[in-house]
Amino acid sequence: MKYIIPRIALRNLSRQKKRSFLLGGAIAFGIMIVTLINGFAGAFIENVSENFAYLMAGHVFVQGAEKTPSGKRLSVIRDDSIIFSAVRDSGLSYEFATKTSEVSASLFFEGKTIRQNLTGLDLATNLFLRERVVLRQGSWDAIGPDSIILSEKIASRLNVLPGDRITASFQTLTGQNNIADFTLAAISVDSSIIGSVMSYVDLAYINEAIGLKSGEYMALGFMLNDLKAAEAFASRLYTSMAGMGIQLFDRSANEEGSAATPFQAMIRTQRSEDWQGSRYSVYTIDDIVSQAKQIVVALDGASLIILLVLFAIVMIGINNTFRMVMYERIKEIGTMRAVGVQRKEIRSLFLNEALFLALGGAVAGLVLALIAMSILSLIDFGMNTPAFMIMKNGHLSFFVPPLRAVFNVVIIAALTLLAAYFPAKAAAKMEPAVALRTAK
Amino acid sequence: MAIIEVRDVKKTYPLGKVEVQAVKGVSFSIEKGDFISIAGPSGSGKSTILNMIGLIDKPSSGEVLIEGRPTSGLSDKELTRLRHEVLGFIFQSFNLIPVLNVWENIEFPLLLGKTKVSATEKKEWIDWLIDEVSLSEWRTHKPNELSGGQRQRVAIARALVTKPGIVLADEPTANLDSSTGEQIIELMKKINRELSTTFIFSTHDAKIVEVADHIIRLKDGLIVENKRLNGAGSPDQVRE
Ligand SMILES: Nc1ncnc2c1ncn2[C@@H]1O[C@H](COP(=O)(O)OP(=O)(O)OP(=O)(O)O)[C@@H](O)[C@H]1O
Ligand SMILES: [Mg+2]
Repeated sequence: MKYIIPRIALRNLSRQKKRSFLLGGAIAFGIMIVTLINGFAGAFIENVSENFAYLMAGHVFVQGAEKTPSGKRLSVIRDDSIIFSAVRDSGLSYEFATKTSEVSASLFFEGKTIRQNLTGLDLATNLFLRERVVLRQGSWDAIGPDSIILSEKIASRLNVLPGDRITASFQTLTGQNNIADFTLAAISVDSSIIGSVMSYVDLAYINEAIGLKSGEYMALGFMLNDLKAAEAFASRLYTSMAGMGIQLFDRSANEEGSAATPFQAMIRTQRSEDWQGSRYSVYTIDDIVSQAKQIVVALDGASLIILLVLFAIVMIGINNTFRMVMYERIKEIGTMRAVGVQRKEIRSLFLNEALFLALGGAVAGLVLALIAMSILSLIDFGMNTPAFMIMKNGHLSFFVPPLRAVFNVVIIAALTLLAAYFPAKAAAKMEPAVALRTAK
Repeated sequence: MAIIEVRDVKKTYPLGKVEVQAVKGVSFSIEKGDFISIAGPSGSGKSTILNMIGLIDKPSSGEVLIEGRPTSGLSDKELTRLRHEVLGFIFQSFNLIPVLNVWENIEFPLLLGKTKVSATEKKEWIDWLIDEVSLSEWRTHKPNELSGGQRQRVAIARALVTKPGIVLADEPTANLDSSTGEQIIELMKKINRELSTTFIFSTHDAKIVEVADHIIRLKDGLIVENKRLNGAGSPDQVRE
């Protein structure tokens, strides 16, 4: 019952419906745009990470490294039982683990050459690959020890068909040139820019070709059931491995004044280090896509600037409106003052009105943004688009961090109050006699 | 003791480079329960004096005492509180709050300051006032749905709701036709009798002046007549 001032403020908003609607609409529009950007940025990291995780068949990776007497760094896990026991000991769970070796090779077929990264994994047992990779030609049944699966794009550039023999030339771990023949088992559907550059070969076959023994490989990827669990998984695994006395690379490195991401810095630090025997690094998909995080930071920064620019304009409108409103209602101000309303209550009458306008506009803007997001996310862009990496199964997806939304609303409320503050103060300062006289 | 005492009050308004002397030194006192008319031609200083008694304007010199208390040293906040507690206002152009309905307009002053009234007591009192000003059927109407006379009756009820000792009305009938105006004055007179609220109203309508039991007549910012009728105490001397 004491809330008469806010009550009047709220009703005052509805006196000039068109005007309130325009100002509130401007606020709503600004909030909507900014929320859309925030929503896009909010889902961006997750989408990129999840898509990368699928391509790389893991959320958390362990890589082994050795130094040859000549100082060359070898990427190899000789004995993964320690890793698995570390996982077991720390009670970590995962969907499945994928052992991979990767080699950069030149592929030859009937005078055509192409440079390709070959990803070696257990073609016969890797169910994940069978789930994700859609075959255009050939079949999983045709998989043999020397099989290779190429994407449509690569296959057409090499002009090969299933059954063709392709020669690959590459370097072994110790730096010797070597060649191996592969049989094209299947051609995969290009699922994206990234998907189209993936070529899969059998782990045992490629290991032998580059000089790794049976049971050895380069990296171990763990697919978790939740991307968000990756960091916790990695840090617990790291601690557990460290506890077992296994040599490990630091999980982070900082290069002051460098534009490199922490991940790049970490890799570089590892290069410069010296050690004996096997040393392991543990990293997550998050570390790999940390560059994408800079994009998010940029997007959020841009949204803040848009927010401020839009609201600089809205503020001018609000300031002008409230100056006008003050003169329109000068008689009421005088009357209220005469009847016993204090100066600061007059001020809060106007500030309340501004606040309600801001909050009403902001809530409307958030609702509009949510509607826009759900409509946009219905559109199917398909998997075969360069934007695939930032999407979720070919759809735009959004996530507005709640704190970010609150932050935007608070900013808008603060700016609106600021814009209304001076007219409100002027209204409060007016002498009642002057206000009443002017009203005649 | 006089409920209001005006002591040698002057008011000058700056007007460009010159000054306008709106009130040139007036003194008078008003007894509790008086029904006073401040009369005089246009520009004689009626509004100026009412504003100063109403504590919404300050004298350039002199002193206004309300219930024996000098007011010249009070802050804006204290003056506002005093207005709220002791004074009621009726305006020429009604001055209701457009977004509040009849009942809410009357209730409004009770929601300000530190008035402590129980909900039922408040409701009974407002209902009584609404009945008194014959607006029972209009309680939920907004001001713009009322006639001028009805609006002024709302204003009267609003002026009375805090049970003030003094109600000030600057030309309360000027925006009304003469018969409605007379009804308004009659209503004020009735309440004056029933609640012994002191009413001070300004007017230049001779017929309405006659209803008062104390007339202060102004001319050019000075009192030219100050008389009490109906044996309502002894009239003050005219002072120049
Ligand atoms: N704000 C002001 N600035 C300058 N002069 C003013 C101001 N207010 C009033 N005056 C002058 O003071 C004198 C008294 O004015 P006031 O309004 O008190 O007269 P009034 O008796 O109420 O007249 P009316 O019957 O027309 O309402 C007039 O000469 C008027 O011009
Ligand atoms: Mg006047």
